[in-house]
Amino acid sequence: MASLEDTRRKEFAVLATPAVLFVGAFCIAPLALLFLYSFYRVDFVAMVPDLNLRNYATVVTSETYRTLIGKAMLHGALVAGFTAVLAYPLAFFIAMRVKVYKAALLTALLIPLYTGDLVRIFAWRVVLGAEGILNTFLLWIGATEQPIMALLFSTGASLLVLTYNYLPFMVLAIWIALELLDRSLLEAAADLGAGRFRTFRHVVLPLTLPGVLVGALMVFALVIGDYLTPQLIGGSSGVTVISAIHDLFGAAFDWPLGGAIAWVLMAVLVTLIAALATLALRSRLGRALLRTR
Amino acid sequence: MERLLRSYVWALYGFVYLPVAVVVLFSLNDSDLIAFPLKGFTLRWYDDVLGDARLLGGLFNTFAVAIPVALVTTVLGGASALALTRHKSSFRLVLGLLVILPFFVPRMILAVSQVAFMHQLAITKSLLTVCIGQSLVILPFTTIIIASVLYRLDPALEEAASDLGASAWQRFRHVQLPLMKFGLMAACFIAFVLSSAEYTVSFFTSGRAQPLSILVASDFRFHLSPTLYALASLIVLFNIIVVVVSELLRRRGEGARK
Repeated sequence: MASLEDTRRKEFAVLATPAVLFVGAFCIAPLALLFLYSFYRVDFVAMVPDLNLRNYATVVTSETYRTLIGKAMLHGALVAGFTAVLAYPLAFFIAMRVKVYKAALLTALLIPLYTGDLVRIFAWRVVLGAEGILNTFLLWIGATEQPIMALLFSTGASLLVLTYNYLPFMVLAIWIALELLDRSLLEAAADLGAGRFRTFRHVVLPLTLPGVLVGALMVFALVIGDYLTPQLIGGSSGVTVISAIHDLFGAAFDWPLGGAIAWVLMAVLVTLIAALATLALRSRLGRALLRTR
Repeated sequence: MERLLRSYVWALYGFVYLPVAVVVLFSLNDSDLIAFPLKGFTLRWYDDVLGDARLLGGLFNTFAVAIPVALVTTVLGGASALALTRHKSSFRLVLGLLVILPFFVPRMILAVSQVAFMHQLAITKSLLTVCIGQSLVILPFTTIIIASVLYRLDPALEEAASDLGASAWQRFRHVQLPLMKFGLMAACFIAFVLSSAEYTVSFFTSGRAQPLSILVASDFRFHLSPTLYALASLIVLFNIIVVVVSELLRRRGEGARK
């Protein structure tokens, strides 16, 4: 007779196999193929499978690609930081001060997220454009004589819209950390005479930092992968490592080089994420999430 | 301090809804130009949208993609979520990492790797390839939504069913499925909405038949008109309805927890 453990194991296999096969066939295999291509070279309009490291040499030695990868990391980190600062008070409010309308507030935060990147980006162009809301307002109050063109099509505008785009992810991550916080610790701190600020500084904040870290990871990865925002909001500053990959797979036909850039970017990304994720998973929050029920 | 926090929260929600408000405002403005001052109220842009055969064709393609994507990602995500929350297997971490992987791979890289894959296997781009690409992107979302519902359900009922001699299938069919039903429906709706808004992967994997998001993107770039704002407003309205309904379902589902 099959033991209970055997049955459970079989059940796990039945449940897990479809997703594993799906991701394996349509994500891992294509990425592996891209890796293989990255060692090819291009001869006019065809790829030649003579394996060499030339593309990687190009990526590593080229000033442009190094700068672009560095820029992607910098923007990812900046936006992760901005969203963390903006999101924390909101997440704190929803977790600690709201009782009945928690779900409603969270849902309200997510609705613009579901409207699609394009709709939001073009709305921002209306807000930031030369004849946009912000400029009209500034002209009206007399803060400026001419519309400020730099509001749109600049790095600042791009960072603003990226922050806007990914704020909800950060709020959710911090909110979960705050909800999982053991409330008796707050009472203990209060009983021991700590004021609100000290309780926050020494109890709440340290215990919810893993949540901030998880949010930062998500935002970081999403910002690096964002193609439309820098392109449509950033103007001439909108060249990113992602748009470079896009071009190499489009008009400038060079899939091997595009593949090499993609894999260098992913290697950097994986290293960073793995390091931070290890930190996050070692924490109390991580252990709580890994526990089964 | 409390007043400050409250005002901050209101201001942030203002920031979040500002772009949406702008789109709706200009979709109702009686002028070709998307600029101030406003000219007056009109519904003609909405009329234009509903009479545009090209956009309606795109809408049809969007549905042809979003419905299968929503169903596939809900089933795959539901199965993975059950495996992740109800089993102590040592492969759990591997499964979790695999399912979450497409979220962390930059979408453009996911898209070009699909292009390379289709090229290698000589697969023609079609709505089917769009479905596959999108399902990959959306699977992490459905898995997490369903897992978050399962995580909060009391497993005692399931254990009781097993103790009373229910087979794995009976336990699933009569205990787990009814309990997670609303979570599944919520995931399905959200997958639908995410699919209809997805751009990057769809752009690279679609052939001649293009979903609405891609038509809208090219229109936005080349001939911006209030018609598109009317269309965007309709999409927002539709999304709000779907999301609110799915949220209500999810909360009803949570009524089943201990």
